[in-house]
Formats: sequence, structure tokens, C-alpha cells
Amino acid sequence: MKPSSPHAFINQLLVYTIMMICVTGSVGLGTVWLRHQISEIANATKGMERDIAAIERQIAESTARLAAEESPKMLELKNEVMALGLVPPQDLQIVRIDESPEERLAAKRNIEIFAEEAVEGTAAVRFSLNSFR
Amino acid sequence: MSKGFTSSYRLILLATTVLVCFAGVGVRLVHLHVLDRERLVSYVDRARSSIARQEARRGDILDARGDVLATSRTVIALGVDPQSLKPEDEIKWSKLAQLLELPLSEIQTIFGQKTRSTESGEIRDVRWVKLRDGIEESTYLAIQKLKIKGVYGNRSYRRVYPRNSLASHVIGYLNRENTPSGGIESFANFYLKGQDGWMETEKDGKRREMAQFRHREVAATAGYSVVLSIDSVVQHLIESELNFISETYHPQKATILVSDAESGFLLGMANYPSYNLNEYGKAPMAVQRNVAVTDLIDPGSTFKIVAASGALDAGLVTPETEFNCSIDSIEYRGRVRRFMPDDHAHDHPLSVAEIISQSSNVGAAQLGMKLGEKGLYDAARKFGFGEKSGFQLGYESGGLLNTPDKWSALEITRIPAGYSISATPLQIHYAMSTIASGGQLLRPQIIREIRDEKGEGVYSFGGVSRRQVIKPVVAQQMAKMLMGVTEDGTAKGAAIPGYQVAGKTGTAQKLIDGQYSNRNHVGSFVGFFPASDPRVVITVIVDDAKLDRGRLNYGSAVAVPSFKRIAEKLISYLDIKPAVLGETANYAMRGPAQ
Repeated sequence: MKPSSPHAFINQLLVYTIMMICVTGSVGLGTVWLRHQISEIANATKGMERDIAAIERQIAESTARLAAEESPKMLELKNEVMALGLVPPQDLQIVRIDESPEERLAAKRNIEIFAEEAVEGTAAVRFSLNSFR
Repeated sequence: MSKGFTSSYRLILLATTVLVCFAGVGVRLVHLHVLDRERLVSYVDRARSSIARQEARRGDILDARGDVLATSRTVIALGVDPQSLKPEDEIKWSKLAQLLELPLSEIQTIFGQKTRSTESGEIRDVRWVKLRDGIEESTYLAIQKLKIKGVYGNRSYRRVYPRNSLASHVIGYLNRENTPSGGIESFANFYLKGQDGWMETEKDGKRREMAQFRHREVAATAGYSVVLSIDSVVQHLIESELNFISETYHPQKATILVSDAESGFLLGMANYPSYNLNEYGKAPMAVQRNVAVTDLIDPGSTFKIVAASGALDAGLVTPETEFNCSIDSIEYRGRVRRFMPDDHAHDHPLSVAEIISQSSNVGAAQLGMKLGEKGLYDAARKFGFGEKSGFQLGYESGGLLNTPDKWSALEITRIPAGYSISATPLQIHYAMSTIASGGQLLRPQIIREIRDEKGEGVYSFGGVSRRQVIKPVVAQQMAKMLMGVTEDGTAKGAAIPGYQVAGKTGTAQKLIDGQYSNRNHVGSFVGFFPASDPRVVITVIVDDAKLDRGRLNYGSAVAVPSFKRIAEKLISYLDIKPAVLGETANYAMRGPAQ
């Protein structure tokens, strides 16, 4: 085996140094790229947060405006200005139903179905509809 | 062997240079990071680090139907940096003036003012002049679209009350320093205020945030929303009635209360005079006071329910027990006591039911005497007089009810008729509510629920009974007797066809300069309906109404018609069904009392 000369050692050192610079440079560039990406993502997130905040602000403004427009006083004013003539219902106009509205509507619907069958003559059982009306 | 690609001299020189360079960098790094570290770190901290506060959005106040009564939204304080203005933007100034609703000349004057002189005579550049405050988001968006360099705004949250004066005494307000004042704003501040957030971040040379350097971030937590039992429609209805009363009778003040007979939750609470919450600065403090809980009045004849209920509950009388009410004095505990006279003479002895329906002072005094001083005092305390009701809002007064040892000889004749005792309208209301709820004294409540930002319920409040005051059967008897008041008693005007209305009128002379006035009265009517299945309790109290043709402000003159108008409107709005007639009716009976 040949003994290594000082030139060879220096050459080796130089190669290692250049390699180290390259590696360090690559790591450095990688870190810069990574940081740039982090910055990009952070700014994008910030932008989205800003957009969400802007939308929330608009919702809050719309809510407040809507609430003002829906206030009883405002509705009365609009009724007057637009000459709609809307008035609260009087007790005489109210018909109170004690029975269950669901059952009443179901019975009404069933009568209609059975009436069609009765007219078509397809019903197996015949009955008078008058008692249900 | 190769000698390498360069000479040894050059190699040594190159290697030495590289090493020296590294050594130089190393030395500089040691200098920066070790020796000069403290100074540089503090400089960087000052220049770049910043702690940004994120203001939490205050929760909303909602009514029972979820309608917004108070909310927070951002407003912009718009200003200009005259140094940054560009001549080419000048053509946009007129559009800006239009958006700001300011004259163009004013804009030109502000924009032209580039320097100012300080007190020491030094001339300084103007960097910020406010153009307008309270600009809405939509307007600001339009201004931003103009892209006028140097014109920009700063956002801040502002509390807005979309319904202006509706339920003003209940809601309270948040002043310009964001300090809650009165009402729910003050009481429920703990729930409403939320938690401010913060973040540590860094800024660049132009003071722009570098989002990538956010170290720690604690997000702001929005405040909870508070749902009230107040119903906007009921509230508007009673406030409209108060407007009518104020325009017609010009009273000193007036109060209307509406509550749910079963749970005790308030559906409406209104006072005259009132004020606009968005312009609270214009309202004097006296107007901002919730007189329904702070001010004391003599309850007058509405207090007779206490003496009658107490005597019935103690088994001392029955509704049919009769008293001679044509006398003007009576011997009691060895001394002659003079009664407060009744408005008209009675041609026959009055039963307890008639004492209530005819509102006899003489009869009430005799009921009080049956109970005795201690019995009457205990009954009044049980009905909630002389103690705070525990109502959450305002500075509630406990009223004035002296212990019997401080009573004068006459007070056993005065107190049963509602004199020599002071109470808040709220106490009077809940005393009547006790009859409607089957003898339970309910706690006045106004907060129904606490909701989080997403509208999910966090906590719900239910009705609370403070105590059982009288037996349910006595409450039934009282309700039937109080129906007599509207059928053939002092409040015939409160009767509603098809509905059983129970209630009691009250007229108390006002104490002016130490003497009871014959001209100034507090007229009231407190009632509930339908008596067979109570849904709502309504109180109308009008202080010092001025009636035409010299008529006096009796409860029957002003308060009774108001009660009827409100009740009729509530029938259709709350779908209150007509009375259950006959033997099956459970008068004044709800819940556990049945």
C-alpha cells in the first residue's frame, strides 16, 4: 500500500470541504424553501381567516339589519306605508278545533282515497261516506 | 500517483482562506449569539415581536322566539393620512364624500390639512384625521373599492339594539367604554362577554404581520347568547299600550307587567317613560331606571287579597262570612279604631266575596283584625311583601313593611287596605300571581336559556317556586272571588265575553308633602285569566294620570281598560282558549297545586 502524500490529504480535505459546502448549501436552500413554504401556508391561512372574519362581520351586520326590519314597530310602519291593511285576528274570526289536526287531516285524506275506490268500484268493502263528512 | 489538480501552495492558500472565512463567520456568530446576545434579542423583541389581542365577540340577547334584541357588529372609524394622498386619487374624493354623506368641501379641507402646530409652536406632519365614525361594513367595502391611498379604517365591535327602545329597561346597554349598564347586559355580563384571545407574532419592517412567526395563539371565545322569556310581540303590545296611556293621560310614570301564570317567567315588562338603547346618552338616569323593581308605591286595594287570603287560609272566615261594613269605627283590643271610609255606603252586611268585589276598606280592615297584627304581618311576608323577590335585574327594592311592634294604632285598619305599606310593582304582580298559581309564590324570572355560539343550549332555567303561601283550595276560593270583581264589582270593564277574568283594582292616594293627596292617585289593576286555567297574569299601574273633566285616576278608570285591551290581544297571540265552564273548572289551579 502506498503511503499517502500531503497532496493527497489536501485534495481529500478539499473534496470533503467542497462536499460539506454543497451539503450545507443544499440543507440551507432546503431550509429556505421550507421556510418559504411555511410562510406561504401561514399567509394563505391568514388570508382565509381574514375572509372568514369578513364573512362573519357581514353576517353580523345582516343579522342586525334583519332584526331591525323585523321589529314589531317597523312591521307596523310598513303595514301603514304600504297600505296593506293587515290587522290582528279578532276572536270571532278564530275557530278553535279541540280534536287532533293530524287525525283530522288523515281521515280527510283517507276519505278521498276510499271515495275514488268507491267510484271505480274496486273497493272490497262498501260503506257510506256521509258519516265521515 | 497524481499530485492532485492543483499545486500545494495554492491548495494551502485556498484551505487557509476557507478556514479563515469559517473562523471569521464563527467569531461573528459567537459575538452575535453569545457576547451581544442580550442587546440584540431585546432590540429584535422590540422591533419585531408583538402580542396581538383578539377581541371576543359579545353574545347576543334574544327574546323567547329567538329574535335578536341586542347584538354586536363591527363598525369602522374611517380616517385619512394626508401625507399618503396621491393627486391622481383626487377625482375619487367626490364619490367618497357621497359615501360618507359629507360635503365635498369638508373632505377637501381635511385632506388639505397636512401639518399642524403643537403647543410649543413646532410644526408636525398630520398622519391621521378621523373622517367619520360608526361606518358599516358594506359602506367600508365600497370605500375600499375606490382605492384611495391613505384612506383607511380601524374596526371595533359596537353593541347595537335593533329594536331601539323595545324592552330597554330589561336589556340595559353597553356604553362606549364597553361597560355594561343595567339590565341583562349588566346581570348576564359573565355569560355575554366571552374571552378575549391573543397571539404572539412578529412584524416586518413595514409593521406587517409575518404569519409564519406566530408562536403562541389563543383563539378568542365568543360570548354566550342569553335567551329571555320576554316575547317581543307581547313586549311591543304592552309598550304600545303605555304609549297610548302616556299620550292620553300624561301620567308621571306607568308600568305594565305580563307573566306566565304557571312558571312565573315574565313575558313582558315595560315602563313609561322609556328610552332608545341606541341613544342612551340622551336619556336621563331617572328614565333609565326600571321603576317596576326600584320604585315603591302604596299597593292600595290590590293588597286586600292578602288580608282575605290570610283569613281564609287560617280558617277564620269563609267566602260567605259577613261583616257589617256600614260602620265607621270599631273597638279593637280595647280601643276604638276608625276605618278608612268606603267610596259608597252598603245597605247590607258584605260577605268576604263582596268585600273583595266591592273593594271595601271597612271590610278589609275587619279581615285584618280577624288575623291580628302578627297574622296580617305574616300573611303579607308570605306573599312576598317587605322582602326582595330575587329578581335578577336592576336594583330591586324590598319594599316597606314594618314589623307589628312599630305599627301605630290605626295601621291595623290601613294596612289591609294597602296603605302604610309600600311595594314595588313587581311585588304586587307576584302577589296576585300567587293566587293564579294555586297558592305558590313564584320567583320572577326573565332568563330562559344560555346558548353557545353555535346556538346549542348550555343551560336552561325553569320556573322556581319560592314557597307555598296559601292552600290550593284557598287559592281556588280567592280566584272565584276575584272573578266577582270583573263580573259585578269595581272592574266590570275588564270582563271579556267567554273568558273568566279574575283581578283586583287598586287606587292609592299619593303621599305629597307628608299628606295623602285627594287629587293625585296611583291607579292599578292586577289580574289573570282564564280564571279556570290561568295562562297569564297582567299588571297595569298608572301613577298620577290626568283625566279629563276632573275625573280621578281610579284603577277602574285607566288601568282596567288597558288590562282589557292587552288581554284581548293576548288571547289571539297566545292562543288562550275560552273558559272551561261548570263543575269541572279548576279555578286558579296549575301544576302541583292540583
